[in-house]
Amino acid sequence: MARRNTLILILITAIFALTVWVCFPLRSSVELTYQGTFPDGTSTEQKVLLVDEAVATMHERIEQQGIKNYDVEKLDGYYIHVSLSDYTDVDRARQLIGDVTNFKLAESSNSGEKFGRNLQLGLDLAGGVKLVYQVTFTDDITDQQAIMDRTILTIEKRIDRFGVTEPVIQQLGADLIMVQLPGFTDIESAKSLVEQAGYLEFREVEKDITGTLIYLKNYLATDVNSFFLSTETANRIVVNMDGTDANYGSLVCAISYDGTNLVFTDVNGNPVDKETLTDYGDMPAWIVARGNDGTALTGSLLSDAQTNISSSTSKPEVDIQWNDEGAVIFDQIAARLYNPAGEGGTYSLEYVLGIFLDNNLISAPQLLVAEYGGKGVISGGFTLAEAQELTNLLKSGSLPTPLNDPIEEGITSASLGAEFIDMSWKAGLIGLGLVMLFMTIYYRLPGFISSLALLFYGTLTLAVCKLWPVTLSLGSIGGIIVSMGIAVDANVLIFERMKEEFRAGRTLGAAIEAGFHRAWSAIWDSNMTTFIACIILYWLGSTAMHNAAVMGFAVTLFIGAIVSMFTAVLVTRTLLRSLNGTRLANISWLYTGTGGKKQ
Amino acid sequence: MMDIVGKRAWYFLISGILIVVSVVSLAVFWFTPSIDFTGGTMLSMKFVNPVDYTAFTEKLSELGYGDAVIQVTGQTQFDIRTKETIPNQQVLVSTLSDTFGELVDAPDVYSLAPREGANTTRNAAIAVGISMLGMLLYVTYAFRKMPSSFRWGTCFVLALLHDILVTLGLFSLLGHFLGWEMDLMFITGILAIVGVSLDNTIVVFDRMRENQRNGVSPDFEVVVNRSQIETLGRSLNTSITILITCIALMLFVGGSIENFIIALVIGIVAGTFDSVFVAPGLLVVWDKGNWGGFFKKKAVTTEVQS
Repeated sequence: MARRNTLILILITAIFALTVWVCFPLRSSVELTYQGTFPDGTSTEQKVLLVDEAVATMHERIEQQGIKNYDVEKLDGYYIHVSLSDYTDVDRARQLIGDVTNFKLAESSNSGEKFGRNLQLGLDLAGGVKLVYQVTFTDDITDQQAIMDRTILTIEKRIDRFGVTEPVIQQLGADLIMVQLPGFTDIESAKSLVEQAGYLEFREVEKDITGTLIYLKNYLATDVNSFFLSTETANRIVVNMDGTDANYGSLVCAISYDGTNLVFTDVNGNPVDKETLTDYGDMPAWIVARGNDGTALTGSLLSDAQTNISSSTSKPEVDIQWNDEGAVIFDQIAARLYNPAGEGGTYSLEYVLGIFLDNNLISAPQLLVAEYGGKGVISGGFTLAEAQELTNLLKSGSLPTPLNDPIEEGITSASLGAEFIDMSWKAGLIGLGLVMLFMTIYYRLPGFISSLALLFYGTLTLAVCKLWPVTLSLGSIGGIIVSMGIAVDANVLIFERMKEEFRAGRTLGAAIEAGFHRAWSAIWDSNMTTFIACIILYWLGSTAMHNAAVMGFAVTLFIGAIVSMFTAVLVTRTLLRSLNGTRLANISWLYTGTGGKKQ
Repeated sequence: MMDIVGKRAWYFLISGILIVVSVVSLAVFWFTPSIDFTGGTMLSMKFVNPVDYTAFTEKLSELGYGDAVIQVTGQTQFDIRTKETIPNQQVLVSTLSDTFGELVDAPDVYSLAPREGANTTRNAAIAVGISMLGMLLYVTYAFRKMPSSFRWGTCFVLALLHDILVTLGLFSLLGHFLGWEMDLMFITGILAIVGVSLDNTIVVFDRMRENQRNGVSPDFEVVVNRSQIETLGRSLNTSITILITCIALMLFVGGSIENFIIALVIGIVAGTFDSVFVAPGLLVVWDKGNWGGFFKKKAVTTEVQS
C-alpha cells in the first residue's frame, strides 16, 4: 500500500512537471535571433553602429504592423533578439521583419507552442484579423437584404467548419460585411478562409437557335459582336478542356456583352487580347444552366452533399441532394439536355451539364436520364481530400454572389479591451491565491494539501485547453471559474467528512479513507449532473443556438469537472495518505480547529 | 439540535416572495438589451499618427461613451461601436481629432445589424430547459433506491429553476433602476449558475440519502433536518470560496465582466439558500402530503423534536 502510494506520488509529480512545462509560457510568442555578419575589416565602432541601425529598422517594421507587445533587444556578440508576443506563426514573423542588412536569422522558435499547439484566445480576449467586404449586387437582384443574409450565413458556416471559434460576422450599412477572426495574425490566411472558393454553378454549352454548339472560335470570328443565343444575357465562360493538360478545367476567358461589343476578360477580370486566345478556339462557350422560369442552377439550391467512393470506378465522388426548388430546376434542365441514348450513347457536349466552382470546370458529366428526382453525383478525378473539401464547401453552402477583395483589412484589438486578458490572468491568480489561503486557514494541513491539488488542477486544465486546443474566450473562462468551484467543492466535501470521522474518534488513516469513501457518492452525482448539463449545452450550442460562448462554457466546464474529479481523488488522497505514518500525522491541530480526537 | 426543516414555512415564504418579485419584475421591466443584441452604429475613424488605445478609451468615456466597444486596427484606425446613434457626431469627431491629431479621411459611419440573433435568449432558455429535463432523469435514477425517487429529481430541478428565475428577476429589477444591460456576459453568468447551483443541492440530497439509508430516524423530517445541519458548513464554505473568486474578478477585471459576476453572485446566494433550506423542505412537505397547512405543521414538528 505504502509503496503503491509512493509510485502514484511520483507519477503525479511527473504529470505536474509535464503540465507546467506545457502551460508555460501561457501565451505564445515568436522568438527570433539575428546574428550580425559584417564584411571583413569592419571596426568595432562601426559594428556597434550597424547593430543600432538594424535595431531601429526592426522597431520601425514591427511598429508599422501595429504590433504593441514586442521586444527588440541587443545581445552580446552582435546578436539581436526579437520577441513578438501573441504571435503564432514563425514564418509570418520572419517575413514581417524581412531582410536586415548585415544580419541573418540564427534561430527562430515559437516559445508558447508545445506539441504544435498554442493556447488560443478568442476575439473578445485577444483580437484578430478584421476584414470588411463589399457585396456587389447584379442588376437582376431585387431582394438585396436576402443576399446579404445568405452571404453572412454562408461565411459563418464556412468559418465554423474550419474550427475557428467565436468569430464576429456583422453587416455594416446596406452592403458591407465585417468579419473578425480571433487568433489570426496572418491576414492572408484569414482572407483565404473567408474567400475560399465556393461559388458553385452549373453551366451548359451554348447553342444557337438552330441547335449548333458554339465554340470560342465562333466568338473570335471578326464579324461577331453579340451573343449567339441572344436570350441568354449573362456571360459565357471558356475553360481549358484539354484532358491531357495539367490546367484542365481552368478558366481561359470570360466573354461578356457591354451593349455594343463583346468583352473578353481573364481570371482577374482584366481585358485580354483576342489574338492570344486562338489556341483555345475549339473549347466550347458555357452559359448558365437555367430552369424554365430563368432561375440559375447554383450551389445555393443544394440541401446536402456527401463524399463517397464510386462503386463503379472506385474513385471518390460527391453525392449531392437538391432542395425542393433545386430538384425541380435540375429536372427541367435534365429534360432539355439529356442524352436519349442513355448510358450506351456517345459522349457529346450537347448533353453535358458542366459543374463549375469559381469559374473552373471541375466535372463535365453527361445527363443520362430526363428525371433525377433531386439527387446527383459530381465525379471528376478528385483525390479523397479534394472530394471532402468540395463536400465541405457544398455543405456550408455556396455564396449567393462571388466575393470581391476586402475593402479593408488589418489586425484588430480585443473587443473587451486590450488590457482585458492581462487583468484576467491577474484576477485568476489572485482568486486562486485567496481560495488557497482560505482553504489552508480553515482546513489546516489538509487545506494546504488541497491547495497544492488545486494548483495541479489549474495547470492540468490549462494544459488540456492548450493541447485540445480550446479557444479561451469569455464563455470558456466562465466554465473554468465554475469548474474551479467544483474542484474546491470536492475537497471541501472530503474534508468535512474527515472532520466528522475525527470527531468520531478515528485515526488519521481511517479518517482519510472514510472521508473519501463517504464523500464519493456526492462527488460522483454532482459531476454526473454537471456532465449532463455540459453535454446538452454543447449540443445545443453547436446546433440550435449556434452560440460559441455557450459551447466554450460547456467544453471548459466539462474538462474542468473531469480534471477536478481526478485531482480530488487521486492527488489530494495520495498526498494525504503519504502524510499518514509521518510525524505530522500525530499533530492534531494541523487537521481540525476543534482538536480532533480531543473531543 | 437546530431545527431547520421545521421552519420551512418561513423559507418557503422568502422564496415565494423572491419568486413573485422576480416574475413581476420580468413581466414589467424585462431587460434592457445591450449592444450585443441591438446592433447600433459604428463610427470608423483613421488618424494620421498612432494613437494610444488606453488614452483613447479614457477620452471616450470622459465624453460619455463608456459603454462603447472600441477596437483598434493597427495603431491608427479606431472603430467605435455604440448602441444609440451618435447625436453630435461632428462634435465628437472634432473633439477627438483635437486631442489625437488629424484624421486621414472623413470618418465612416455605418449602421450596425444586431450581432446575435434575436433567438439567442430564447435558445438559451430552451438549452437550460432541456438540461433540466436531463438532470431530472439522472437524479431520479441516482436516487432510485429512495422511496419515490421522482420527487427527488423534481425538487432538484425546482431548486435550479428557482435560482435561475431569481437571478433573472433580481437582475431585471436592479437593472431597471441601476441601468444594467443584459449582454452575453450575463447569459454566460446564468449558464454558470446551472453549474454551481446543482452542486449544492446534490450534496444535501446525497446526505439525506445516506442518513435515510443508515436509518437515522423513522421520521423523514428528522433525517432531513440532520442532513441539513451536517452539510451546512460545507455548503457555506464552497459558496464562500466561489464568492472570493468573484470578488477578485470584480476588483481586478471589473467593468466589462460586471454582469457575469452579478449573475453569479445572486445565483450563488440564492442557490445556497434554496439547496440548504428550501429544496429539502419541499421534499418533506411532499413526503407528508400536507401542501396546505405549513404553519400548522410547525406545531407537529416541535412535538417530534421534543
